[in-house]
Amino acid sequence: MSQPVANCPNCGAKIVFRWSSSVQTVCDYCKSILVRTDVDLKKVGQVADLPPDSSPIQINTEGKYGNKSFVVVGRILYEYDQGGWNEWHVMMNDGTSAWLSDAQSEYALSSSSKPLNLPAASQVQVGQQFTWNNQRYTVSVITPAHYRGVEGELPFQYWDKTDVTFADLRTESRKFATLDYSDPEPALYLGEFVEFDDLKLKNLRNFEGW
Amino acid sequence: MSTSAPPPPPPPLSPRPRTAGLNCPKCGAAISLRSFGQAITVVCGGCHSILDAKDPNLAILQQFEAITSVAKPLIPLGARGKLRGTDYEVTGFQRRSIQVDGISYTWQEYVLFNPYKGIRYLSEYNGHWNDISICKTLPTADFGGATYLGENYKHFQSAEANTDFVLGEFPWQVRVGEKAAVTDYVHPPRVLASEKLDKEVTWSIGEYMYGREIWDSFKLPGDPPKAWGVYENQPSTVATNVTGVWVAFAGFAVFLLVLMAVFDMHAKKAPVFNHTYQFNRAEAKNEPSFVSDEFELTGGTATVEVKSYAAVDNHWIYLNYALINQDSGQAWDFGREVSYYHGYDSDGSWHEGKQADDVTIPSVPAGHYYLRIEPEVDPSLATISYTVDVIRDVPVLGIYGIAFVALLLPALLISWRAYTFERSRWSESDHPPVQMSSSSGDDE
Amino acid sequence: MFRKLYLLYGLLTLGTAAFGQYRGWSLDTVNQLKNVPKSVRDNPGSYRSVYSGYHHYTGGK
Repeated sequence: MSQPVANCPNCGAKIVFRWSSSVQTVCDYCKSILVRTDVDLKKVGQVADLPPDSSPIQINTEGKYGNKSFVVVGRILYEYDQGGWNEWHVMMNDGTSAWLSDAQSEYALSSSSKPLNLPAASQVQVGQQFTWNNQRYTVSVITPAHYRGVEGELPFQYWDKTDVTFADLRTESRKFATLDYSDPEPALYLGEFVEFDDLKLKNLRNFEGW
Repeated sequence: MSTSAPPPPPPPLSPRPRTAGLNCPKCGAAISLRSFGQAITVVCGGCHSILDAKDPNLAILQQFEAITSVAKPLIPLGARGKLRGTDYEVTGFQRRSIQVDGISYTWQEYVLFNPYKGIRYLSEYNGHWNDISICKTLPTADFGGATYLGENYKHFQSAEANTDFVLGEFPWQVRVGEKAAVTDYVHPPRVLASEKLDKEVTWSIGEYMYGREIWDSFKLPGDPPKAWGVYENQPSTVATNVTGVWVAFAGFAVFLLVLMAVFDMHAKKAPVFNHTYQFNRAEAKNEPSFVSDEFELTGGTATVEVKSYAAVDNHWIYLNYALINQDSGQAWDFGREVSYYHGYDSDGSWHEGKQADDVTIPSVPAGHYYLRIEPEVDPSLATISYTVDVIRDVPVLGIYGIAFVALLLPALLISWRAYTFERSRWSESDHPPVQMSSSSGDDE
Repeated sequence: MFRKLYLLYGLLTLGTAAFGQYRGWSLDTVNQLKNVPKSVRDNPGSYRSVYSGYHHYTGGK
C-alpha cells in the first residue's frame, strides 16, 4: 500500500493519502477541499467549521469487521430533522473501501454495490421491495437530509452539496441498504447493522468525564 | 498496521466543553449538557423552560408561567450506573400519565446516556422498573399482538400518554403536554411498545427489572420503592412451567395405577378361616365370649381382612373381635357393627346400613392365630346366625386414594397461584379477565 | 423450581404408598395389645381389652 505524499496547494502543508484510491481529501490545517488529478492536487472548495457532534469515532480510529480490520480515513456529515449522522469512510486491510455509519449510536457497515434497475428519486416510495443478492429489501423511510461537511479522504468527489435524499431499506435480518440520491445517478450501498462491541474499536475520541 | 510512521493527528474539531458557560435565556440559571451533542432539547433546572440544545444561544422552545406539578426523580440527574456491563449516566427525566376510565396513572422515565453506546431508557411505575431501548429491527404487528425477534407479544394496553413534567436533556423535541399514542405488547419479562408522536412511530423493547437491581446498579441510598400489584411484563414468580407439573402428575397417576395392578396381582387374598356361628341369648347369658379354632397366617407382615355377615333385618349385632397370636401374645382388638334398617315413608322406601361388614387389620405378622369373639345382639332378637371370614393379605385401595389426592393437591395449588398471578396482571390491561363477582366491569 | 420440588414430593408420595402396601398398612383403626396370655384360649371370658380401661392383663375373673 503506497502512501502518496503531496503538498497542499493552498497552504503547503504535507498531505498524506492513507488510501491509494482516494479521490478527495481535506487539508487538516487550512480546511481546503483537495481533489486528485493525474498530475497534482487541486483545491476545489473550503470546508466550513463542522458542527460539534457526538460520534465517538474519529479519523484514525481502528476496528474490525468480521475477520478484516479497518482504519477510518474520512467522513461525510449529514443533518436531518431528527439530528445528524456521520458516514465514516474506512479503508479495509484488503485495500477496499467501505462506509461505517454512526447515527445516534446505531452503527452499520456498508459498501457500494452496482446492481441494475435502481429507482429514480421521484419514483422511490416507502414499502417498495427489491431483491438484491437473494435478499429482499423493503423501503422503510425516505430521509431528506442536509450535507454539512466533509473531513479526510473520500473515494469520490463530494463537496458543496446542499439537500440530498436517502432511502433506507430494511430486511428481516440485520442487513440493510441505502439508496443515495446525492448525484443524478442513484447509488446503492448494501450493508448490515453492527454492534459497537463487535467492531472492537480502538483510538476512539475521548469524552471528558468518561 | 503498516510499517511507515503514522500521519500527524489532525487538529481537533471545535469541541464543545461540557459546561461552556451556557445560561438559560429566561432565568439565567447555568445549563450543563452531558450528552455530547446527542441532545436535541434541554430543560432549564431553574425555570423548567425547554431550550433548543442545538442552538448555541439555547432558544426557548417552551416556557411556563407557573411551575406546575414538580416531580423529583428517584435516580438523580448525573448519577451513573452499570446496566448490561456498560456505565450509563442519567441525563433526562420525565413524568408521563394516561387516563383510563377517568383515573390518571402516572409513571416516570429516565434517559440514560453513554457516549459510545448511545441512549437507553428506564421506566418506573409503582415500584416496577423496565430497561428499555429502541428497536433496531422493526417488529411486525399482527392481529391482537406483535412479533419481534421471533417472540410473540400479546396486546396489553393502548392509551394516550401525556408528558407532564421534564428535566434534563432529550434526544427528541420534547414538550410538556405532548401526547403520544402508546401501545404495549407483553411477553413477560419483556414488553414491546410502539409510540406514535406527530406521525412518526418508534418501537422500543423493555425488559423487567427489580428495584433492588436498580438501587445496586446506581448505588443509591436507602431502599427502592415497594412494587405494588403485578406489572404488565413482570415475570411470574409462581408460574414455573405449570404444564410440566401436570405432565409430572399424569406420570405419577399412571405409576400409581401400575402399583395398584402389581400389588393386586401380588396379594395372596387367601381365605384362611370361615365359620358360621349361632347366637342364642339363653345359652350366652353367662359368658357370651368364645374363641375360634386356630388358623395360620403365612407370608411376611401383611394385612388381614375380617368379614362379618349377618342377616339382620331392622336389627343390629355388634361383634367384639380380638385377633390373638397364639405364640407371641400379640392381639388386635376391634369391634364391628352389622346393622340394617329399611322402611317406607312419605318420600318412598329407604334403607340404612348393610348386612355385611369388613375391616382390614394392618401389619399382622405371620403365625398361629385364633379369634376371640364376644357378640352383642339387639335385645329384640333371641337368636341370630352370623358368619365370620378371615382373608390373609388383601390390597388396601384407600392408600392409593390418599396418594392420588396428595399428588393432586400441590398441582392444583401451583396452578391456582399461577392463575391468580396472571389474573392480577391482566386486570390492569385493556383485556381484563371476566369478573367472577358482579362488581366493576371494565369496558373494552 | 416448583416443578423440581413437586417431582421430589411425588416420588416420596409414591414411595410411601408402595411401602405401605408392602408392609400391610390399612386405613382402619385397630387397637393393639401385647402379652395376651395363652390361658385366654381356654377361658375366653378372662380376656381384657383396652376398652375396659386396663392397660395390662389382670388375670382371673
